[in-house]
Amino acid sequence: MFGQGLIKGLQITWKEFWAKKFTVQYPEEQHPVPERFHGKFVLDVDKCIACGLCANACPNKVITIEKQKVGKKQYMTGYIMNIQYCLFCGLCVESCNKDALHYSKDFNMNQYFYRDIPLVLVKREAPAEPEEEEQPAAKAEARPKAKPQAKAEKPAEPAANSEVAAGKVPGKEGE
Amino acid sequence: MLENLFVGIADWLRSLLGGLGTPVEINEAIVMLVKLVAILVFILINALWLVYMERKVAAYMQARIGPNRVGPKGLLQTTADIGKLISKEIVIPGKADKVVFLLAPVLIFVPTLMVFAVIPFGKNMAAIDMNIGVFYLLAIASLSTLFFWMGGWASNSKYSLIGSMRVVAQMVSYELPLVLGLLGVIMIAGSLKMSDIIAAQEHTWFIFTQPIAFLIYFTAAVAETNRCPFDLVEGESEIIAGPYTEYGGMAFAMFFLAEYANIMVICAMATIMFLGGWHAPFGLDFIPSWVWFFLKMYALIFVVMQLRWTYPRIRVDQLMGFSWKVLVPLALANIFITGIGMKIYQAIGW
Repeated sequence: MFGQGLIKGLQITWKEFWAKKFTVQYPEEQHPVPERFHGKFVLDVDKCIACGLCANACPNKVITIEKQKVGKKQYMTGYIMNIQYCLFCGLCVESCNKDALHYSKDFNMNQYFYRDIPLVLVKREAPAEPEEEEQPAAKAEARPKAKPQAKAEKPAEPAANSEVAAGKVPGKEGE
Repeated sequence: MLENLFVGIADWLRSLLGGLGTPVEINEAIVMLVKLVAILVFILINALWLVYMERKVAAYMQARIGPNRVGPKGLLQTTADIGKLISKEIVIPGKADKVVFLLAPVLIFVPTLMVFAVIPFGKNMAAIDMNIGVFYLLAIASLSTLFFWMGGWASNSKYSLIGSMRVVAQMVSYELPLVLGLLGVIMIAGSLKMSDIIAAQEHTWFIFTQPIAFLIYFTAAVAETNRCPFDLVEGESEIIAGPYTEYGGMAFAMFFLAEYANIMVICAMATIMFLGGWHAPFGLDFIPSWVWFFLKMYALIFVVMQLRWTYPRIRVDQLMGFSWKVLVPLALANIFITGIGMKIYQAIGW
């Protein structure tokens, strides 16, 4: 019959008119973010040992790690990602031995000012003295033990990081 | 109360003016002026609403939501758009005919507004109930061809010229099936007066006695308003925006709003001629007559919009061929059959 296609077309648009709409009104509602989404980075600071593998793995030299030696350990004072150069390849996350660096599902990293773009994951002062991570009982033993070692390394330390380490509490704790 | 809302307002105004002691002629003139201004405001607001409705319908048919940010449910979207267009500079092309170029968008609304004066929006709600109402409407409505042509010619641009030539060709050739389609109705009603035609449909709407005439009229009317699938006039992929190519800002908006006002005219006309005007179907008289009129009109407007978002544009040769080879012969045949049918019924004694 002539005109059958016309009617069929109208039927389709009529059906579509009542069909469910696909629009997701972004700021109010969001699509579910996939499980392995490459979003904003999250660093588990307690796990991180400031080894620098992630910075080495990065093809774009996005990651800058600032660290100091506190006592025997490396203490991270800054972990900054120049996210404007990041291609979210995931090599840094893969390279992390301690499973400290992760992706989050947050994809909203836009900034109004250029200076705000770098993603500062850690920015802190190094403690002058190594923290005690052992049990309280072991504390007493650990302390005298650590002290001489710290002293032994002293000659090397001030040359590298004297400003921060010495700046805060030079006279408070006796050396 | 609600039924005679607008008639009541007019009567109240008349009695108010009567109390002032001015001559009756002046009072009537003032009432008429108020009526026409009310219609003017109604049309302009409605044109804004129709732009919004079109965008919503389009969005819904494409599984989108459409405008929803400006105002509640996006209702103020077109108001914002018009506000923006008003604030824009009017650019006149260097080689354009300045006077005609500026006159065209101003005048484009005139035939549409003149037409609305005779349309009965409800029981006793026509501003002027002319005894040649249908003839007047068709004659005035076809005037708008001239203003499209003015705009296209004065722009001095090839796209505008091609577009406006298409307008003239299309609107003139579709005028014929449009009128011939209505002729069947007029033959049955035996009058050109709109109130008589509506009164003749009190029991049976003419869409049931004249279904082919309705289809012919509706097709031709969609073509007459340059709407998809007959929107060759502003075929975007070919000639940018047809006669509107060189227009910007409010001048363009006037053409744009006039298009929607024209849709309203043809749908109101279809309602009057085929859908029983303000008559309530199934004896649902408790709903005011003007509400019925607008319901029918908006249903038809919805169909016009649905057509736009369903069908692709046809070619120029198809357009002309369809008008002259299909619609006109069909309309003539319809008139012939209607005439024979009427004679047979008269012979039977109906």
